[in-house]
Amino acid sequence: MSAESKPFGHSTRLPSLEKAAVWIVLVVLLLVAGLSSEAFFKLNYLTNLLRQAAPVGIAAVGVTFVMLLRGVDLSVGAVISMSAVLCALVMDGRPENLWLGIAASCVCGALIGLANGILVAHGKVSSFIMTLGMSIVVYGLVQVGSGGTARGIVSPGFREVVNSRIGGVLPVLVICLLFAVAIGIFLQSRTRFGRSVYLIGANPEAARLAGLPVNRVTVVAYAVSGLFAGLGGLALLARTGVSGTNPGAGMEFDVLAAVVLGGTTFAGGRGSVGGTFAGVMVLFIALNLANVAGLPFAAQLIIKGLIIIIASAAHSWIGAGSGGRKQE
Amino acid sequence: MRQYLMHSIAAAMIGTFVTGTSMAQEMDLTKKETYDQIMTWANEPLDTSSYKKDGDLRIGLSAGYLSNAWINFTAQSVKYEASLHPEIKEVIVTDAAFNPTKQAADIEDLLTSGVDAILFWPVDEKAILPVLKKAHEKGVVTINIGYNFMRDPSVTSNAYVNQWTYSEQVATEFAESLNGKGKIFAMLPIAGSSAAVVQLAVLQEVLKGYPNIELISSEYGDWDRAKAKQLTENLLQRFPEIDGAFSPAGQMSMGIYEAFDEAGRLGELTLSPGDDYNGWTKLVTKEGKWGSVTSGLEVGRAATKQAVKILTGEPTTTAVVVPTRYLDPAEAAKLNEPDRADDWFKTDLPTEFLPQ
Amino acid sequence: MWTRAIAAMARQGLPRIYWALFTLVLIGMVTAPQFRTASNLANILEQSAVLAVLALGQAFVIAGGMIDLSVGQLVGLITVIACMMFEAFPSLSPLVIVGCIALAALVGLINGELINRLRMSPLILTFGMLSVLQGFIFMLTDRSVGQVAPAITFLSNGRVLGIPVSLVLVAVVGIAAYYALQRSIFGWHLLAMGNSSDSARKAGLNQFSLTRTAFLVSGLCAGIAGLLVAGRLGTGFPNAGIGLELDAIVAVVLGGTPLKGGRVSVIGILGAVLFLGTLSNLLNLMQVPAFAQIVVKGLIVIVAILADRPGRAARLA
Repeated sequence: MSAESKPFGHSTRLPSLEKAAVWIVLVVLLLVAGLSSEAFFKLNYLTNLLRQAAPVGIAAVGVTFVMLLRGVDLSVGAVISMSAVLCALVMDGRPENLWLGIAASCVCGALIGLANGILVAHGKVSSFIMTLGMSIVVYGLVQVGSGGTARGIVSPGFREVVNSRIGGVLPVLVICLLFAVAIGIFLQSRTRFGRSVYLIGANPEAARLAGLPVNRVTVVAYAVSGLFAGLGGLALLARTGVSGTNPGAGMEFDVLAAVVLGGTTFAGGRGSVGGTFAGVMVLFIALNLANVAGLPFAAQLIIKGLIIIIASAAHSWIGAGSGGRKQE
Repeated sequence: MRQYLMHSIAAAMIGTFVTGTSMAQEMDLTKKETYDQIMTWANEPLDTSSYKKDGDLRIGLSAGYLSNAWINFTAQSVKYEASLHPEIKEVIVTDAAFNPTKQAADIEDLLTSGVDAILFWPVDEKAILPVLKKAHEKGVVTINIGYNFMRDPSVTSNAYVNQWTYSEQVATEFAESLNGKGKIFAMLPIAGSSAAVVQLAVLQEVLKGYPNIELISSEYGDWDRAKAKQLTENLLQRFPEIDGAFSPAGQMSMGIYEAFDEAGRLGELTLSPGDDYNGWTKLVTKEGKWGSVTSGLEVGRAATKQAVKILTGEPTTTAVVVPTRYLDPAEAAKLNEPDRADDWFKTDLPTEFLPQ
Repeated sequence: MWTRAIAAMARQGLPRIYWALFTLVLIGMVTAPQFRTASNLANILEQSAVLAVLALGQAFVIAGGMIDLSVGQLVGLITVIACMMFEAFPSLSPLVIVGCIALAALVGLINGELINRLRMSPLILTFGMLSVLQGFIFMLTDRSVGQVAPAITFLSNGRVLGIPVSLVLVAVVGIAAYYALQRSIFGWHLLAMGNSSDSARKAGLNQFSLTRTAFLVSGLCAGIAGLLVAGRLGTGFPNAGIGLELDAIVAVVLGGTPLKGGRVSVIGILGAVLFLGTLSNLLNLMQVPAFAQIVVKGLIVIVAILADRPGRAARLA
């Protein structure tokens, strides 16, 4: 019964059911939501939902890779904050600084991710605590940089373009989200990096013995996560059009819930970016449903927590069935 | 022996229950009478003889949080005012980052550092009382700054902005601008905060005189522009007709404006007057309508002046009240500083004291 | 028994955190004159009581190779419930106190059971539970509520001959934890499970029972900590517990207990708690700006975790 004896053990029981699970949940949820409020069937509403979900969704693509490796990146909330604030600061309201601001945020996000990756891979420490500590450091630096006020002015046109709808229907932000997901799928299926991530996540010891560059892949995975979190911060900035003091606060919970919902659990080696995308949609529809149904904010917190627990447990059961890991 | 111990513990407990703890005056924030009472208290003279100190003065500022622009300006104005008084040797600032346990530790550490007065805005009014009691017992002057009035033996004085008057000005102008008719929603600050409680109560009170205005929803935007925008988007989905939004906080009004704009329903919207938030005054300048009510930013300097008065034994009143007034769109536009970020306020702080 | 404990400590030497603590105290004595006063020391001890109790509870879970991220919100929940109950039933205070601790222990038990039955990673389960508990708190209230029984106020803030009463409480909990973790069969089994759950299973240890007990203790300590927080604040503040779980974990790790479990040092944990409390106090006395304090805190977490790496012995392998 022990899955440990399978070297690169993907689930052997019903793999297609597991992959499809989150999509089934999504369809069911949409139907339920539609029954309670017909607004859910309007295209405008759905695209707006996706627009709201864009920052979390983009960041979640990156975190998927880290979690496939049995790690976790809890610094994404802080990186999103930092990315939004930094971009606004660099842009300083001038149109010529537009790309400079975007580039600055991407580089910064990737660098933080790099730091995370190096410390986790070579320090061999708990990614959970490490990225949590990093998030505190980043958050503190954001506060120091902003001085407590939402400084920085977005370049003219940034918000107007990115937050608009093409043809009055399709939001640019949704295109950005889909694009990020597409890149993520490409990385996972068509690059050596992606394949290595799956192999290492499934069985690190065997991967090491087989000669895979575990450390290098780990570092790259965290850097990717940081980069995507930076992009998520840009999406957040575009949506609101202004900087803030800590705009990304708490987003790591949403990101984690979405990734876990999508089938990528802490066990590693299983899951996909596509699943994460479905997970993002499920999460935001569920939260929106709670909002529309008039449930208090507190209920949303409970829902998020229960989603994390139930989805994790469910994926453990549907999958290989070897749940009882007592470590991270 | 054990029985004796149990009995004495029980007796001690009962004894302390009976005497009980003193608590700050519980005030019903939703009644106008409360605020009239507060103003009466504020004008009573304060006996400062017991606080008089000679020599250099040290001021401590225990900020409950420093995470929004208004509060940052207030902190800076405390420092600025202190620099104008040669007898104040230093100002020590601590930030509790919304953690009441940390604020208690911060104030204890300020006491250890030997401050003569502690200016503060609490993370939570009730949670700060035990440590204020310690300060009071040491003879340290305590001054509460902001929108809530704390009446308690441990709070020496208040530097206060009258929420009721402020909200009433906003609500009345708003109702008039709607010509007394329409469906509106309220965008309020953090749920449970005194600001939110008061603003809603005032709105409902004022609306009694305008029976054709309907309040369709109350939302809590936490003074966050992005959150206000998201909440407004949800409302726009739910309600096909919205004529106006009551939002005294200019920061949140901007989020509302953007949501309407993106939904293409800007023409329907009448916004209430906001405050002196720079982004809001920019908007007022651009639109030529809606106006502002000043938010009482002078309260930081007023608190410091009060501290000096008390510590030098000068006569003063129990509280200093900073007035607010309505500015029509033309006057509000004058408050705008166009080359500054939205998250800014126009003040008379010299450059070196502006938030960095 | 005492002599054996002291002899063991003498052999191993004090955990490394004490060197950091001594260095910090030295810096404090030199740079901040107010640091040297007895009342400041009493302040530090009082301010550290909550973290001490919480960290001791977390030690049980970490020793077994697990982790409990829900304790912070559990503290918040107990603070709120306790204050609400104290206000509603002022004459039933002793009952409320016992009830709250029992409730906290129950939540811990539920955590343990869910981990056993759902066969989930303790990390995810307690992470999800964190959100659930926070939701419960906000269902109860969104602002501070209630009041505190004078007995609890005395417990958190009282001084007898200048010594904080809470210090006595911490000492009691500390001694109990020491015996349970380092001098009992239960502790031995717990550490064995932390070392290697496979070997433990093969040796016939009942992991389910050990897990349950460890989480129960963690919850229980969170309950005590919740009462201490209520005493300090005098009211039930809903967000009182945010981030406390991370502080507790950092204290445990800084004190020389590896996150993977298998080894534990109560003395080390207490030293780490003192270190963190002193650091916080010094940062304030030295007037380090607030935002910089946040960065320092984050760096401490990272340093703590880096220092937690498998020791030289493992690297030889």
